[in-house]
Amino acid sequence: MGAALLAAWWGAHANGMFPTGTVPAPDEVWRAFVGEVENGRLFDDIVASLYRVAFGYVGACLTAVPLGLVLGRSSGARAALLPWINFFRTLSPIAWIPFAIIWFGIGDPPAIFIIFLATFFQIALATAAASASVPKVYYRVAEDLGLRRGEILFQITLPAIMPHLLTALRVAIGVAWMVVVAAEMIAVRSGLGFLIIDARNGLRMDLVVVGMITIGAIGVLLDFAFARLARARSVRWGFDR
Amino acid sequence: MSARASEPAVAASLRGVGFAYERLDVLVGLDLEVRKGELLACVGPSGCGTSTLLAILGGHLRPTRGELERAGTSRTIYQDGGLFPWLTVAENVSAGVPRGTSHAEASRKVEDWLTTTGLSEFRDHHPHQLSGGMRQRVELGRALVAETDLLLLDEPFSALDYQTRVRMRRELVTTLAARPRTVVLVTHDIEEAVQLADRVVVLGARPSSVRRVLELPAGKRPRGPADPGVGAAEETLLEELGLA
Repeated sequence: MGAALLAAWWGAHANGMFPTGTVPAPDEVWRAFVGEVENGRLFDDIVASLYRVAFGYVGACLTAVPLGLVLGRSSGARAALLPWINFFRTLSPIAWIPFAIIWFGIGDPPAIFIIFLATFFQIALATAAASASVPKVYYRVAEDLGLRRGEILFQITLPAIMPHLLTALRVAIGVAWMVVVAAEMIAVRSGLGFLIIDARNGLRMDLVVVGMITIGAIGVLLDFAFARLARARSVRWGFDR
Repeated sequence: MSARASEPAVAASLRGVGFAYERLDVLVGLDLEVRKGELLACVGPSGCGTSTLLAILGGHLRPTRGELERAGTSRTIYQDGGLFPWLTVAENVSAGVPRGTSHAEASRKVEDWLTTTGLSEFRDHHPHQLSGGMRQRVELGRALVAETDLLLLDEPFSALDYQTRVRMRRELVTTLAARPRTVVLVTHDIEEAVQLADRVVVLGARPSSVRRVLELPAGKRPRGPADPGVGAAEETLLEELGLA
């Protein structure tokens, strides 16, 4: 598939199917890629983007999962908070960019904030849905077994929702990685998003494509890592059935 | 609910018990005594509240009226699969071991029950890798490993095919003969109730109360169709349920 795409791209470019300057040739992109690797800028941009995604995404996980657990187990909390969560969930993270810059200035914080917002509501809602759908019979058995409140959380609720949660986290990491490009188009001077916007400003379409391919490749690697996690013993039961 | 026993021969006693889900009365004025060591089957028309009765006996629901007295602890086996799917067979059985049991004693009990239920070689399997009958044996092991006083069975074999159901009834009888317990069995299967029970309680239509308690003759169990009293008991129960 990859080879076919590359061949089609090459053939189309060689036959002059793209207007001049709109789509670079594969060999131009390769040379740009080698140059970026040799001057170390690509590595620095990857690290900068991964750093922002890691902080924004992990921060969202640490706050959204507990909130989702509360929402899933408490109808009162659902009634009070779900309308607000749905309100904010439907706002594009991009719409927060002006506030992100005013509140956090320039540098990493506004980009991390945008990534946090893009994933927080999604993870909270998925956790709430998973937690609300845990069969009641497990809780009755837990009562029979004499489990206490904290034990029920760690021995029943969390293991029961883990496959759903892992799927939600897998989708969310994709969103976080997608949003990092937009987040880095503001207020930062590093990262793959900045690489693309900077290359566009300099009409270096070869570098734009290098940035796009790098983002796509890292997205695939991140997804692969989550797919590997789904083989862990504690969650495999949810995918085997 | 009070945890004290009213008298030694009674495992649980319900007096004038009623239960309503919001405005829907399910049980009204229900009087029933569960004798220690007996297997009491409970039958009734669909939706009459047999599972609610079991949840009250298990302490999962509090009666909205009347009084329940029950001694000791209980475990329930559910028709819709109460096994934890993220645990293996051995871990599920181990989850039933009472807290405070030493590690060595817990391991011994788990091994003992895995052997009793014939699941030793499946100890590392997860529930979804087992047949329906094997899953019910794991449930039985998890419920009985605690040596609780009262075992509550909520249509435990209803989802199984006929042959497995018959085999499971035999296994239940064998297990209970080796390790006697007081058992309350909710079932919609008249044949199952008559094969297994010492007494059968018939509940009326909702809002339900006890319509009749039928004593069954002592003898070997599971009873066969030709055993004394079986045909007459089945006929009586069918009449009580308006199915004759």
